[in-house]
Amino acid sequence: MSLDILNQEPIRFLLSFGVVLFLVLNLAAIFTMAERKVSAYIHLRFGPNRVGPRGLLQPAADVFKLFTKENLAPSRADIWVFLAAPIAMFLPAALVWLVVPFAPNAVIADLNVAIVFFIAMTSIGALGLIMAGYGSRSSFSLLGALRGAAQMISYEVPLILSLLGVIMLSGSLSLVDVVNAQAGGFWHWYFLPQLPMFVVFYIAGLAEARRVPFDLPEGESEIVGGFMVEYSGMTWALIQAAEFASMGLISAITVTLFFGGWQPPFEFLDLGNFNWFWFGLKTSILVFTFQWVRWSLPRLRMDQLMDLGWKILVPASLIWLFVTAGAMLLLPSVF
Amino acid sequence: MVIAFVFLASMTLICSLGVVLSRSIVHSALFMSGAFLGIAGFYVMLNAPALAAFQVLIYVGAVTVVILFGIMFTQKPQARHFRTIISKQLWPGFFVTAGVGAFLAYIVTIQDWSGSEPGNGMRSVGQLGETLLGVNGAPEIFGLLFEVASVLLLVAVIAAIVVSRRKTGEGIDRGVEE
Repeated sequence: MSLDILNQEPIRFLLSFGVVLFLVLNLAAIFTMAERKVSAYIHLRFGPNRVGPRGLLQPAADVFKLFTKENLAPSRADIWVFLAAPIAMFLPAALVWLVVPFAPNAVIADLNVAIVFFIAMTSIGALGLIMAGYGSRSSFSLLGALRGAAQMISYEVPLILSLLGVIMLSGSLSLVDVVNAQAGGFWHWYFLPQLPMFVVFYIAGLAEARRVPFDLPEGESEIVGGFMVEYSGMTWALIQAAEFASMGLISAITVTLFFGGWQPPFEFLDLGNFNWFWFGLKTSILVFTFQWVRWSLPRLRMDQLMDLGWKILVPASLIWLFVTAGAMLLLPSVF
Repeated sequence: MVIAFVFLASMTLICSLGVVLSRSIVHSALFMSGAFLGIAGFYVMLNAPALAAFQVLIYVGAVTVVILFGIMFTQKPQARHFRTIISKQLWPGFFVTAGVGAFLAYIVTIQDWSGSEPGNGMRSVGQLGETLLGVNGAPEIFGLLFEVASVLLLVAVIAAIVVSRRKTGEGIDRGVEE
């Protein structure tokens, strides 16, 4: 009875939004730690190992340092746009977590248009990037923002096209329905019939999260940090948090769409309400592959980026869309 | 509900005023995205989440971003600011505004608002798609309009390619010429 008040609408929403915000903010700290450790092991180093056991408290030290740093803004900056940009980048990435199903019955908002919501929110991310680049009034920032906007507009197309196969197979735009349609062992997961779409989605997702090899908006060696070159202290930290949140988000959405969400790999491993373990495990593995790619591949050139997006990913996803549609039409018994 | 309505309405109105009154064209575009987000909030209040998601996707995520992208690519920094917000086309603007205002006022007066409840339209995406494409007894005119819109987009894409293509063989490079 006492828990009923938590189910009342504004309280339930505020509570769950608070939980998701907590998760996303901490995710940024944890992913920073993971990033540094993974990079260190790939470089055959130890990585951070001074703060706490095996350096595990390093994120806390990082956050403390960032809080005490001064927030600098260029004197010629468009100050309101400059300060609003990190928020405009972070909020969309945080909001999409509302529709991600963590476990059976553990989804904050089971929208019947969750996939469209996800696409809409990722498309706002480009706006924050442009705001950051324009607001700083610096040439490097503007170049980074232009690159970022071009990249995110271009890679949105294959990202959306690669989702269509899953939508056709599951017949629903709700992420909960997509997960339920993949029940019963890993051979029912959509990454097998939709392998080309999965590859396209993964690459486009890397580009949307602006990870290496698609980090042209930052391009440390060319434009010294791109759109975030003028940021410092907590505004910079919020941009970093947004990037890590969107990396975790792309992994979580990939798991939900192509790897069965919280579905266990074999039916006898079903953990009931604790199936969030499978979701977390798969998401972590995917995040690790993102980091692995980051520390292994060089950055693409701008024209190579555009060629890859428009000449390879878009046709590939269109072809597999037709193959899926044809298979569903000719072999209705299989689907 | 009332608080949400007042919040969304003031957000939309303030952002719309910002679009018109701002002297920087980039600020105008950013205010416009705020106004679009307010409208999307109204769609959510009216129980149409699909419409709201498409509003955000198309108007905030695509239209505003492309406008900003275009502004940054084409104009010199000093051309992004206006000295005055009163355009030379004061009177045509006034007549257009008055006409739109009169039309909206007419619509508001002739519509019978007593019987309308939010959320009694088509809510599920499937229903919306069937109506749009004219299957299952839906009027087929929407399907035709849908196709016409896609032809229009194709024409726009081809026109963009023709406009932006560099002339080869004549020794004239537009980028250098200008």
